[in-house]
Amino acid sequence: MSSFSNPHYMYLFDMKNGKKKLAYGQSPEDALEILSYRLTEEEMAQIIADKYIKVNQRQLQAYVNELG
Amino acid sequence: MFKNLFNPKVKPEGKEPRRLWLDLGDLGDLVNPAGPHEQWQDHGMGLLRTILHQNGVMTDMFSTRQCTSWEEVEKRMKGYDMLIMNVRSYTFPVAYRSAQIFKKVNPKGIVLTGGMHATVALDEMLAVPEFDKICQGPGENVIVNLVSNPDAFPRVILGVGVKSMADWPMVDRTLWPEPASKKLAAKFNWPLEPECGWGPPPVATILTSRVCPWQCAFCNENSYIPNMGRRPVDMVIEELNYLDETFGPIGSVVIHDSMFFQNPSWLEEWVDKYPKYANKTWPYWAAARADTVRQWPDLFEAIVRKTNWSTVSIGFESGSDRVLKILNKECTEEDNYFAIDLLTRIGDEMEAKGQKPPVFWSNIMLGIPGETREDAFKTMRMLKYTKRIMPSISFYAPYPGSVLGHQIIAEGKSLMSKENYHRYPDDEKVKGIDYQFYRDLLSGKYDDEVSRGLASIRQQRVDFWDALAKA
Repeated sequence: MSSFSNPHYMYLFDMKNGKKKLAYGQSPEDALEILSYRLTEEEMAQIIADKYIKVNQRQLQAYVNELG
Repeated sequence: MFKNLFNPKVKPEGKEPRRLWLDLGDLGDLVNPAGPHEQWQDHGMGLLRTILHQNGVMTDMFSTRQCTSWEEVEKRMKGYDMLIMNVRSYTFPVAYRSAQIFKKVNPKGIVLTGGMHATVALDEMLAVPEFDKICQGPGENVIVNLVSNPDAFPRVILGVGVKSMADWPMVDRTLWPEPASKKLAAKFNWPLEPECGWGPPPVATILTSRVCPWQCAFCNENSYIPNMGRRPVDMVIEELNYLDETFGPIGSVVIHDSMFFQNPSWLEEWVDKYPKYANKTWPYWAAARADTVRQWPDLFEAIVRKTNWSTVSIGFESGSDRVLKILNKECTEEDNYFAIDLLTRIGDEMEAKGQKPPVFWSNIMLGIPGETREDAFKTMRMLKYTKRIMPSISFYAPYPGSVLGHQIIAEGKSLMSKENYHRYPDDEKVKGIDYQFYRDLLSGKYDDEVSRGLASIRQQRVDFWDALAKA
């Protein structure tokens, strides 16, 4: 899982309430699993799992106000 | 080398404005500090003041750390035309209050701000009307023009840095604040720095690289500051030798890089030249990652053995893969234990030869959203497993600017605010975290669970409560 063998990427998922959720992992599926470690089932249910974009670390500032 | 590089477009006519650079920190930290780390000097301020002064743009300076009351700060601010501050998230409350006081006593004065908080939390900076100018990003290539002619700039300025640290001048350390009590001055070694437990005094702090390129969710500084070339090995050694001859003798070195153990070609040159050309192979503190140690173990071992890398700082952060993933550390438990075992072996061999063994300095986080009790036990177990370690433990803080911080704030779970962005490690910072459990954990209440599976020699409890340190 080290950064050399399994690098992580950042993903921005759409949410049902119109906001976005930031997650990171080796893949979108992995990112959602990692997110589930700290969110409740109700919070996870707000995320639209198949609506996401991959974002560059340097682009994140542009989305801060959309996070929820 | 920076002299005359900037050529301010508009030089002030007549009398020079009185400019004050205010060094920021908690009141009294340079009078009677609670700990060693409060006494570190600000390299950003040192660099920018050096550039200003080399270009004939003079500033006075004092530090809130030199004052013991806000009345004293107010008194020392009177009569200035300009206030300049390098604002970090944890100094934002001090900067905010200082700007209000400055405007009160100098109503026509102008306040110039920059620094990491301006970059990562612009909204909060914009909300402070006293901040007349806010410079985001690196300021090396804009500071002279900005300070010389602030009216020519909009309120928010995108800073301009240099491409390589080779272009930075050597910081004039006499531009740093002095200790403000006789007691502190006696052991401070100004303009070098005092002992903090990592090596003998006087301490020379230095930067060889800027910005860690990894994307840990609690930090993410790489999102904001562009990559820049590392300071050449020869320049680093030249500066250390200069400091040793001018202000020394140096006792030890702290390489303040967020990430020292990267860029193998630079490190190979360091192994070759530091022992040969430095006046002395001073012991030093510098940072690595567990996975870079695992990636380049031979290089790591060579540096530890040949260059006196006596305090190896690795942010293990957690002993649990789940939590390491939540933090986007991109290291695993296995990486952590690999690094621990390697340094332990090196230390044992050095000790057997009568040499002082290297130790870990390690940042450890607890109270991370999503962390279970078993995760926390694994972290404490890792600490107990490690033979030679100085842990620096803190409760996770959702700083704005970091990926996880942004998300926690957006979810309404942060307990931090602009009034309390400080670094007190035992503060409660996130809603829903059972902080009493963590206090009990650090006090030893769960030692049986923590010690499960550890060899008896490793089970001897250490007072980890004392390891809660300002990060």
